Amino acid sequence: MPHRYGSTVVFEHGGLVGKMDLNFIVGGPQGGGIETAGLLAVRALAAQGLEVFADREYHSNIKGKHSYSHIRASEKRIRSIKYPVDFLGALDVETLATHYHELKREGMLVHGTGLSRKQLTKIPSMDIHRMERLKADLENIGDTVEELDEWLERGGMTVLALPFAEIISDEAEQSPPMIERVMNTALTTTLLRAAGIPLKTVVEAIEALFKEKEEVKTLNISVATAVSKSLDETAGGKRLKIAPNIPQPAEKGKRMLVAGNDAVAVGKLVGGLRLQTYYPITPAADESFVIEQHSVLLDSDDKTLGSPIVIQAEDEISAICMAIGGALTGVRSATCTSGPGFSLMVEGIGWAGNNEVPVVITYYQRGGPSTGLPTRHSQSDLLFSLNAGHGEFSRIVLASGDHEEAMNDAIKCMNYAEKYQVPVIHLLDKGIANCVTTVRPSLVKEIVRGKRDASGQDYRRFALADDQISPRAYLGESLMWYTGDEHDEAGHISEDPQTRRMMYEKRMGKREKILKETPDEDKAVLFGEQDYEDLIITWGITTGAAVDAIPELASKGYRAAVLQLRMMDPFPSDHVAGILSKAENLISIEANYLGQLAELVKWKCGADVRKRVLKYTGRLITQDEVVHAFDRIKSGETRIVLSGGE
Amino acid sequence: MNEISTDWNSGVWPDWCPGCGNFGIFTALKGALSELGVGRENIVIVSGIGCSGKIPHFVKTTGVHTLHGRSIPFATGIKASNPDLKVIVHGGDGDLLGIGMGHLIAMGRRNPDILVVIHNNGVYGLTKGQASPTLQLGKRTKSLAFPNINSAVNPILLGMTSGYTFLARSYAYNIDHLKACLRQGISHNGAGILEVMQPCPTWNNIVTMEWVEKNTYYLEDWDPVVRDEEGAMRKMQGIIGIESGEKKALGTMLIDDSRQPFRERIASVYKHYATMPPAKQEIQRGNASLPVDVEKTFPNFFV
Repeated sequence: MPHRYGSTVVFEHGGLVGKMDLNFIVGGPQGGGIETAGLLAVRALAAQGLEVFADREYHSNIKGKHSYSHIRASEKRIRSIKYPVDFLGALDVETLATHYHELKREGMLVHGTGLSRKQLTKIPSMDIHRMERLKADLENIGDTVEELDEWLERGGMTVLALPFAEIISDEAEQSPPMIERVMNTALTTTLLRAAGIPLKTVVEAIEALFKEKEEVKTLNISVATAVSKSLDETAGGKRLKIAPNIPQPAEKGKRMLVAGNDAVAVGKLVGGLRLQTYYPITPAADESFVIEQHSVLLDSDDKTLGSPIVIQAEDEISAICMAIGGALTGVRSATCTSGPGFSLMVEGIGWAGNNEVPVVITYYQRGGPSTGLPTRHSQSDLLFSLNAGHGEFSRIVLASGDHEEAMNDAIKCMNYAEKYQVPVIHLLDKGIANCVTTVRPSLVKEIVRGKRDASGQDYRRFALADDQISPRAYLGESLMWYTGDEHDEAGHISEDPQTRRMMYEKRMGKREKILKETPDEDKAVLFGEQDYEDLIITWGITTGAAVDAIPELASKGYRAAVLQLRMMDPFPSDHVAGILSKAENLISIEANYLGQLAELVKWKCGADVRKRVLKYTGRLITQDEVVHAFDRIKSGETRIVLSGGE
Repeated sequence: MNEISTDWNSGVWPDWCPGCGNFGIFTALKGALSELGVGRENIVIVSGIGCSGKIPHFVKTTGVHTLHGRSIPFATGIKASNPDLKVIVHGGDGDLLGIGMGHLIAMGRRNPDILVVIHNNGVYGLTKGQASPTLQLGKRTKSLAFPNINSAVNPILLGMTSGYTFLARSYAYNIDHLKACLRQGISHNGAGILEVMQPCPTWNNIVTMEWVEKNTYYLEDWDPVVRDEEGAMRKMQGIIGIESGEKKALGTMLIDDSRQPFRERIASVYKHYATMPPAKQEIQRGNASLPVDVEKTFPNFFV
């Protein structure tokens, strides 16, 4: 296959035909349109009828540092990313230098000719430690982009270096400052066309993305059209050969394209949330922004159902306390945060536990401790979320494994909170928060508000009851008292030993009740072989990589299943122990150092999960990593630490 | 007064030390509430931690006894969710000016219809008399090992610069004056601070009744009402002047109705708030529980 770069490129790309498991990386400097490039690609692939799953990786920085999207598209549902990638699109040299080694042998690299003469070892924004590794890697390759391109081509890859600046200037009639601003669209259009997405769909995606910005929309469409035309007419008159077989959009408007932040916001609003409080923190704050943007709720007759309010608090302590205050008035109230914010919320959660307040804390884990990796993935706060708060009280910790579940769990968490009058922690992670994916929403149909007493007569907020649940009255309906101290049925302070005991047992006794009444699907979900020999236990976004790996594991002859744990507290020990006991081999996969889920399972079920696959680099666990790790586990290793991804 | 006291007593025995200034605040509060004309279920007293934090248990209204320093966020959440409730915050000087000072400032910025009553006794009473943020530099109350090495904060000036629109100072043992200030503050349309000088006969041997008699005076010839923007500036300068005097002024320093209260600010961005605040919204409809139409409410997410 003849491949050259420069203005005389001919692209003949046959390697992907019919395969329909496409992985793209598109990267560039943060704040330079790279996020838009990713969104455009995701939108176009979804609009073409494909299922999409895209990870967004970025620094704690606004402008200049390296950022990229890893986008995967397939005909079937996918819930993870996979390496190596088929396409790499680079807006800058750092992207090339960072990701060239992640390209498949038959993969394709696209960049502008403007980069060709640049030096790979002169990247001021690159992390100095990463640069050291890069220099070592480049020893046998060369120092310029041109040399790297040649090296990649010798290895069988396609390099498509296109004169984007000239195309934009000639065809779309734009001058330099504007050219830089639309380079992302030029690059993305090329990647999409090369993958078999027609220009029509790219244009549609641009229209959707810039719906409310007429000028930007027109400009980007002209750029996409010009780039697409030049691909079709590229030197020699040869046409760009694109992968066929990409299905046309069939049932438009039935799927949603959401990040986890969006999914949870949708669930909360549909589920009756009317007060959201927050303090800005990555990767949780976008959820509140989405709620603000959709604050007019409509029913099927276009009638306004009301609107939530969002309050930006002065800190996370205030955020949780305001949400509790809202919950006391009978309003479905929640706050959302990440580790550092949750650390501050702990005293509020204890108060809610002692006062049996239905408040929801949406907790997106990120890399810790302290500020840690503010924009990166982690699953290292499981044990913290179970144990946060001094003293003992009932809580529910529910962990979602994907976007669809997160959307529904947002509703369920509010239902559980009100039904059992406990604080509920909806445990998520940066992976879910920021990954964008297609979902087919099938939402929980019921709002459960729990036991009520709105009579206003002889009310005792903490009246003892056989089922541990005192009927709730909202502030304003009756006289009532709340206190963080131990209290009697009326809510007044009491240090009487017998009252203490009864109230303690009332609060703690809910754990049994919750476990008895919670459906299995909210406790743990089993995927894959029913007659399994190897059982992978996992949770959160990592579930996706494990579940996506099942067919490959099966094709290698393994009888493997995946158990996704959902309800972490109270822990469904009997249910989980039953599933574990059928396996000969237990393997945990999760994004932390200790193997926190494995530790929890050991504590709660007495099952020693000694084989642990772990990752704490801040990057997602990918499907290919699961497969490789599984092979290594089968060949006798017990602790595998993953480190893929940039 | 006796009749009122009985009617507004919850029946819980007030366990403050004999002679505690909190008794005066308790009595004045009951008097003020009885004159408000608001149903007791609709009055919510939110408190922090410490001796003052117990007050909601003794008054026959709804009471929310919260965390140390956090009464203001609780109160803000309650008031924002259900603006029909009359929300009053009670806390000590350590609670509101020490551990909770950030919330005190944030509340001024929001200007919700909440009165914050600061029980200022200069010490942390319930933990046996440590120095509070209002104890003067160099003073040594009886349980301190050394004289206080921190400067005192002035709640009135802090409130003024934070955006509070009602500011007053009263004295726990002048029930009539305190009651009048409470009524004024509770009825005010915005955030208020009422600092109450409250002798702690157990731990504060400096700010005693005698000290208060000698070191305070009642404001006369001071008009606290702001009428326009220019007047607001002059008022602030005047308050700084009052607070720079050697003696503590007792009385109302500021009533500013020119600034939008929090509920109007919320209503300016959420257009349904004025008629449908969160606590007044129906989130389910009969058995068809989920009335929100996802496609209509979130059209941009669909592909």
